[in-house]
Amino acid sequence: MDNFEKQIRENVAEFDSHKADRAKLWAKISQELEVERPKVIPLWKSPLLRIAATLLLLLGIGSFIGLQLLKSGASAETQYASQELLDIDMHYNRLVSYQVKLVQNNTNLSEADKIEFLSFMDELDVEYEDLKVELQKNFDNERVLEAIIYNYKQRIELIENLLIQINDSKINDDEYGYTL
Amino acid sequence: MKTDIRFTHQALVEKCKINQSSSQYELYALYVDAMFNIGIRMLGSKEDAEDIVQESFVSAFKNLGNFNYESTFGAWLKRIVINKSINFLKAKRLPVVPMETHAFHLTEDTPVEVEAVDIEKIKVGITKLPAGYKQIIILYLIEGYDHIEIGEVLGISTSTSKSQYHRAKKKLVEIINEL
Repeated sequence: MDNFEKQIRENVAEFDSHKADRAKLWAKISQELEVERPKVIPLWKSPLLRIAATLLLLLGIGSFIGLQLLKSGASAETQYASQELLDIDMHYNRLVSYQVKLVQNNTNLSEADKIEFLSFMDELDVEYEDLKVELQKNFDNERVLEAIIYNYKQRIELIENLLIQINDSKINDDEYGYTL
Repeated sequence: MKTDIRFTHQALVEKCKINQSSSQYELYALYVDAMFNIGIRMLGSKEDAEDIVQESFVSAFKNLGNFNYESTFGAWLKRIVINKSINFLKAKRLPVVPMETHAFHLTEDTPVEVEAVDIEKIKVGITKLPAGYKQIIILYLIEGYDHIEIGEVLGISTSTSKSQYHRAKKKLVEIINEL
């Protein structure tokens, strides 16, 4: 290598005197790179992405099963709540039927009063059965639940009225006794 | 030490491999001026150089997965710019090596000792070189390629590269002396 060559090689930096229009060039480069990006699709052939896709699929199935379990958990809760309702129902049923029996066996009441009372009770029973069917269809319906409570209240009221009636008849009897 | 140089900007290059846009710009900003100057030297036109540099960066980012630090990133990118420049000239049917067959000049190919000349004169002299002489001078003297590499780039044998270079250098000295 002679001095001429050495001189050029040692001063190579002096040959780089131009400055590129960075922004203009980058705008074109980034535009082309953006256009090319959707070409990713054929990469699904790569084994790494296949693994990733399988994992994603498994995750999807897993979350689906998870959601199903959560749902069934909710229905278990519903079942539990209906079990509670069933218990309350049985308790009141027993109470009402016991009182109905008491009324039937009561000697102080006239046959007509008994029949009237029981027919009211039967009516309420029919209504109650309807409400139970309705409740099975739609457990969260507040109106149905309110109707059930009202049904029970009516029965209690009916029994209370009967009780007042019995007591009144007793008083009457006593008064009658006194008048005598 | 040689290994260390090859891994210059490795972190940045790796981020570019996963298409991180900000890293791509960072790497671009580091090399764009150098690549633009190579383009201008090789093609002699600012517009052509811009086109080639743009194409080269796009190609580099797209094929960065193939870059395995066998050279520095700069050298790898420079090779892309040079190859694209040569292909551009070939597409325009411009000669990338002197037209005359070197066989007739075998006796003249003996290296000539030349003394140091003013850099500015050399710059002007290179621009005045006829088509076919310029590229080999640039590749050998400025880009620092050896004759094996020049042979690969220009598609000629190593010995042809050597003889063509000496002829081109002789021509350059003649032009400079006339300035």
